[in-house]
Amino acid sequence: MRRRELLAGVGSAGVIAGAGAVAASGVPSVDELLGRESDQPEPEEPLEVETVDAPGSEAGTATVPASDRATFVDIFGTWCPPCVEQMPALAEANDRIGDEVLFISVTSESVGEDGSITRAELADWWDEHGGDWTIGLDPTAAVTERYLESGYPSAAAIDATGRLRWSESGVKTADELVAGIERALEADP
Amino acid sequence: MERRTYLRALGGTGVAGLAGCLGDVPGIGGDDRTVLEGNARGDPSHPVNGEEFPSFSLPDPLADETVSLEDYTDDRPFLMTFFYTSCPDGACPALLLRLRRVQEDAIERGYADDVGLLATTFDPNRDTPEALEEYAKQQGVDLEVGNWHFLRPEDNEAAKTFVEDDVGMPVERVEDHSALGHGEGGGNGTGESEGRNETNGTHGNETHGNETEANGSHGENRTNGNETHGNESETGGHGDGYAFTHYNLIVLVNEDGVVERAYPRAIDPQGGVTPEELVEDTKTVVDG
Repeated sequence: MRRRELLAGVGSAGVIAGAGAVAASGVPSVDELLGRESDQPEPEEPLEVETVDAPGSEAGTATVPASDRATFVDIFGTWCPPCVEQMPALAEANDRIGDEVLFISVTSESVGEDGSITRAELADWWDEHGGDWTIGLDPTAAVTERYLESGYPSAAAIDATGRLRWSESGVKTADELVAGIERALEADP
Repeated sequence: MERRTYLRALGGTGVAGLAGCLGDVPGIGGDDRTVLEGNARGDPSHPVNGEEFPSFSLPDPLADETVSLEDYTDDRPFLMTFFYTSCPDGACPALLLRLRRVQEDAIERGYADDVGLLATTFDPNRDTPEALEEYAKQQGVDLEVGNWHFLRPEDNEAAKTFVEDDVGMPVERVEDHSALGHGEGGGNGTGESEGRNETNGTHGNETHGNETEANGSHGENRTNGNETHGNESETGGHGDGYAFTHYNLIVLVNEDGVVERAYPRAIDPQGGVTPEELVEDTKTVVDG
């Protein structure tokens, strides 16, 4: 059954290089093949990120994952065409379920006067692409390292205890994003 | 044969490693000299643990210097990966992220001067110095630290020669990426990969006029979407009419110029190398 999910995932992913959709489930482990449940993930330490002033986003800081609720992280870059392609689905998912989680998009690109984009340009980009939720900066790529699957964009849903419940790379639909987020909301740690 | 048989062999073995084949050189596991399909990779063509990394001397246009194997031997270990900036789907950024995280760790733990981080483009025709500089910023690379070099062979032909013939990492130019969709479904290939790549995504790609410069000889790949295996990563592309199917290879080389580890499908969630693992492996070699 695991197997079936996996195959379906790979097929429909189609989007991203390599292992697009294999995500957290991945190739079945020995435990999975033997029917043992072993996928209780470990909680992860919160990482602090700077948030920027943009539509739906205030300048300040946030922790990823949040300590008081579930978290949805979109790992993106303004340079990344599939990330742009996914923005409408993210906006819809945020409309549907964003109130229940920390809903945040994080980029590790160099933001600033010497960077590929300034904070003001990032805010404009955000506005242009319909962004209306929190943007976080990840200059050391620590958040990206933790939550990037095989490529950009990647989506991750973490439950309120900091355990990763879902992650996949590639362009997702709003339904897929919401379903992933629900896994974090429904998780019973 | 070669191309086609070769790709089919890849499909059959489905393994990361790339069945011991240098580009057009015949003689892969699972080729027509055996009855059974390959059950595992043959001798990998890229160097693996214990083998010498091939000599190189390549320009870094941003630092305006030439970087050679000899700069590192008897001095410090290095990591090398291979990419192109037009990489459509984030596979190359995922490779660079791993080197970037090593750079970050090296800064934090004080070994920035004791490791080299080399990212070699196999698309120098489009990856101009300006494009590379912009890419560095997009990927958050710190060029000021001085341990990162973008290596840019003279042109795409030279790049192919270095990457395929010297290093042994096949790179396939794909001309008509619109026929391929946006990229391949995954396929982590641990021996069960046939049939898993069947479904191509069909995301809208712009179609551009074909370019006619170097490397135009691979047109036969255009309809072979399902044979360009997921492990080697993406096909499809945005802009400029061609893309590459390539392995997501990272090589960790010690100060004797000997490969400590090759990670041929580095970005795969299973069987690849996470940034954390790469950081630890690199630190171990630096300390060793």
